[in-house]
Amino acid sequence: MYGATETTTETREQSKDTIIEVRNASVTFDMNRGRGRVLDDVDLDVYRGETLGIAGESGSGKSMLASALLDAVEDPGMLTGDVTYYPEDGDPIDILELDNSDLQRLRWEEIAMVFQGAMDSFNPTVPIKAHFVDTLEAHNADVEEGLQRARSIMHDLNLDPERILEVDTYQHELSGGQRQRILIALSLILEPELLVLDEPTGALDLLMQRKILKLLHEIKDDYNLTMLIVSHDLPIISAFADRVGVMYAFELVERGDVEDVLYNPSHPYTRSLLRATPDPQTPLDEITTVDGSAPDPVNIPSGCTFHPRCPVAGDRCEIEEPDMVEVDDETEHVASCFYQEEGKEEIPAPVSKESGDFTFEVDDTWSRHPIEDPILELEDVSVRYKDPPLTERTLPDSILERLDERYDIVEPPVHALTDVSLELGEEDVLVLVGESGSGKSTLGRTAIGLEEPTEGSVKYDGYDVQAVERGEHTGEILFEDVRRAMQIIHQDPSAALNPYRTIRSSLSQPLKRWHSDMDLNDRRARIKQMLESTGIRPAEEYMERYPNELSGGEQQRVSIIRAMLIEPNVILSDEVVSALDVSLRVELMNLLLDMQDTFSTSYLFISHNLTNARYFAGKANGRIAVMYLGQIVETGPIDEVLSDPKHPYTKILKWATLPLDPDSARETIIEESPIVTEKSPDPRNPPSGCSFHEACPKAREACTQTRPKLDSDGNQLHRAACFRDDPDHEYWQSEPLHGEEREIPGE
Amino acid sequence: MATDESTIDADDSTVGNDDSPFHARAEYDATPGDVVLELLDIWVFTPARILWNDYRGRFGIILLSLYIAMGTVGTIVVPEPGIGQGDTLMQPFQSLEHPLGTDGLGQDMLGLMVHATPNMFRMIIAGAVFGGVLGIAIGLIAGYEGGTLDKVLMTITDSVGSIPGLPLLLILVALIDPSNPYLVGIILNIQGWTGAARGIRSQTLAIRKKEYVEVSEAMGESKSNILFKDALPELLPMIIFGFLGGATGIIHASVGLYFLGILPFDHLNWGVVLNHAYQQSGALYSLDAAHWLLIPAVVITGMTVAFVMLAQAFDQVFNPRVRARHEARKRNREDPELDDDGTVTSEDTTQVGIQ
Repeated sequence: MYGATETTTETREQSKDTIIEVRNASVTFDMNRGRGRVLDDVDLDVYRGETLGIAGESGSGKSMLASALLDAVEDPGMLTGDVTYYPEDGDPIDILELDNSDLQRLRWEEIAMVFQGAMDSFNPTVPIKAHFVDTLEAHNADVEEGLQRARSIMHDLNLDPERILEVDTYQHELSGGQRQRILIALSLILEPELLVLDEPTGALDLLMQRKILKLLHEIKDDYNLTMLIVSHDLPIISAFADRVGVMYAFELVERGDVEDVLYNPSHPYTRSLLRATPDPQTPLDEITTVDGSAPDPVNIPSGCTFHPRCPVAGDRCEIEEPDMVEVDDETEHVASCFYQEEGKEEIPAPVSKESGDFTFEVDDTWSRHPIEDPILELEDVSVRYKDPPLTERTLPDSILERLDERYDIVEPPVHALTDVSLELGEEDVLVLVGESGSGKSTLGRTAIGLEEPTEGSVKYDGYDVQAVERGEHTGEILFEDVRRAMQIIHQDPSAALNPYRTIRSSLSQPLKRWHSDMDLNDRRARIKQMLESTGIRPAEEYMERYPNELSGGEQQRVSIIRAMLIEPNVILSDEVVSALDVSLRVELMNLLLDMQDTFSTSYLFISHNLTNARYFAGKANGRIAVMYLGQIVETGPIDEVLSDPKHPYTKILKWATLPLDPDSARETIIEESPIVTEKSPDPRNPPSGCSFHEACPKAREACTQTRPKLDSDGNQLHRAACFRDDPDHEYWQSEPLHGEEREIPGE
Repeated sequence: MATDESTIDADDSTVGNDDSPFHARAEYDATPGDVVLELLDIWVFTPARILWNDYRGRFGIILLSLYIAMGTVGTIVVPEPGIGQGDTLMQPFQSLEHPLGTDGLGQDMLGLMVHATPNMFRMIIAGAVFGGVLGIAIGLIAGYEGGTLDKVLMTITDSVGSIPGLPLLLILVALIDPSNPYLVGIILNIQGWTGAARGIRSQTLAIRKKEYVEVSEAMGESKSNILFKDALPELLPMIIFGFLGGATGIIHASVGLYFLGILPFDHLNWGVVLNHAYQQSGALYSLDAAHWLLIPAVVITGMTVAFVMLAQAFDQVFNPRVRARHEARKRNREDPELDDDGTVTSEDTTQVGIQ
């Protein structure tokens, strides 16, 4: 660890010379509702050789600031102010004055940018290599030499340059992590001085995030880069940046060294934001929400923009705009707040220097017994997907089979779920955690009857759901009651609401279906009350709006209300908070938990990260199930699993979760990934034995032979599908698979 | 438990627990009048207002109203055309008696135009409704149900669609000898539904995978409710466009077939006028008879333009963003307290609101 911090402090002290200087940068948009300001008078210096993090929630203007550095603000946005670039040798360049050809030279040759959304950054009809050639040709660079450079960059980024550049490889043949790395390689091909990264790990899985952050950390020194990293994810900035600027409402509100800002946040917004970030180390009760919502660019509050949401705002904040004030004479830590001291008293510091484990406050009320009367029960459920094009084909199966024998045209089915069993009690919470493709969504959807299991059974209240649907239990239970009892809340709230229906119409739907005795006015009254109780006001007005007139958080609240109005007993909440802003996540998880109290529903809560899982299950005395390649590899009460994971995969996931605390975050970021191969196994041909053995640092010969099962004997709640759990297993006598057995950090 | 309805029961809500939002009830009952007003507002008043606010819509409405007036009041006011009403080939805009002049047989051009309109409308309505309903039904069912039904329906659609149009019409006309304008309309649009069905099916395929449709399914909504409330609104622009496109198609097809003399001259039609002008006067070469050709051409074009304009404007009616803006303006009128734009959050902030 200390290697890293030392070199960064060193470079910072060596070179206070500025590489890019931003003064009074503002971006305005003319909207049909008036003039919108999406960047408001921002001053910023980026020093040569440093990594500067720009943190802020979505819509705070951080991406706009990044675009401003390249004078790449899109029309109709108007950028004003000064952006000056200082080359290593030569005269300063005023970027906003450059003509097009000079600007083109500056971009990519001096300042390069890795845009958000690696998934869509390549032209799908053109091989990857052409993107490199085009870039080189556009800048009149030597193509051969450039490609040579690309190969060595790719090598450093742990990519296979032969495969990507020599053969015509297209983007769909590459994984998200590979695309993101190729994008980084592409941005470095003309040897820029400054690299701007906009949410570089946005859509990636936890382990890939860690890998990319580590690689970025390495190439930064190798290629002598200055980096500006824009992210809403505070732990990434904490681990990666030397300095950080926090943006709120299109302005920088606080700026300084990462340690200073995180340990001694001096703007009330920074403090609230840090407290709203579910960090493994923050006690659950200390995670709070930021009240209110971010301002509209057309309607920015006067004075301090944060005053409507600030707990310590005084009269002065409403009128006067605070300047950046030095927090400490010795450092460059500044914050724009009049009442820094009051803020510190009101909002306790969220990040402590003590690095620690996931913490839980367990009390006597926590249940420690197996579920007696499960409301939902899955027994050995497997789901396989056949190739859709083949099932669509009109050939009879007999012919298909014979063709397959000869030409091998039928691909084996995708094993989405394999032999999964789980139980959900009443008022229970089970969090499903796993990377994309681990089958957590399939499991959830099968559990609530939206997909049919290929094998095994799903029982609701003791009745087999499919049998009920076939009408085998007529007279005992109706299928429509089973259907009603299990509902879903989706990840993307804007897609979950019909854009052609007003909020009232969407919310009337469950009432019309299940409360035919209610008339128009009854429905209106209930919807109004529900909206008000979840903080959507004025409800009367919101009822008549269309979904596009609501913010993401409001839309998600409406989705939750709609699910609740159906009055289900089980709700599948599929990544409900991951599309939302950091400060909203805790608020919505709290809303779900409150609803559980009112309603006595059970939740299947899908999450791809452990911090949200810990918060949600930790608050509700719930359990967790960790999934890998269609199987549950470990399950148990959340506190036991997270404080004492048994399965190597759970341990690795836990390792991959970055803490907020900059010291420990930096320590972990340079650690070697314990995972043996980043290649995930093919779900069409899952490996024999334990499906994790190819990547597992602890795998031994025994793991390739038989598949470990989640042992279900007795009353043990915390179970792992791993031979290491059994001290007498033959595993311990067999040879390690991948040479020397590796340690998982933090084990 | 699903069957434990203690929290749901209507009677329950009056006992205790009145604070809970899950038990809220209105203080008074909705009258049938409320419901009717509400429905009228959603389906009639608001769309009409949005159409009228769009210049294309306004133009289309006015133009179409002229044609409707022509087809209804016009037929009463303007006398039926007959041979020898006036001198032959009188020029237009010369006399009040024959404002559009006369043709080579001395028939009043205005009369010829006006009295052809009702049948034109009959053909359009029959043809467009036939094509529209069949296309929507087949497209929706095939797209939503999928599987074998989809394959069967689409095979039929493609087979019908691949029959060459003109020969089919010739044969049908010869077989059926259509004199009923409604029947003519249907025959003219006999293949019109195939395109609509294909298009609607592909849209439905995309819609049925949407999350809100899944929510409706999970809620236990009936299939017809899902089709009509979730799928149809999104398809409406397409349907209306298909409907109005079908209308222009029928206009052109009927004029064309009458012009070619394939359809019997039992009825007045603008195409018949064109045919006579072409066949009998050499209107193509003589300025004297030019109006005989130009007037029906202008009348036909006008009607087509009216439909095209309307179709474009209807896009606005179904666009939720436009509707939202419209509603916001309406709210403003009711509540002048709000600022000029009514809403504080609108599309721009929504886009930045989620990541």
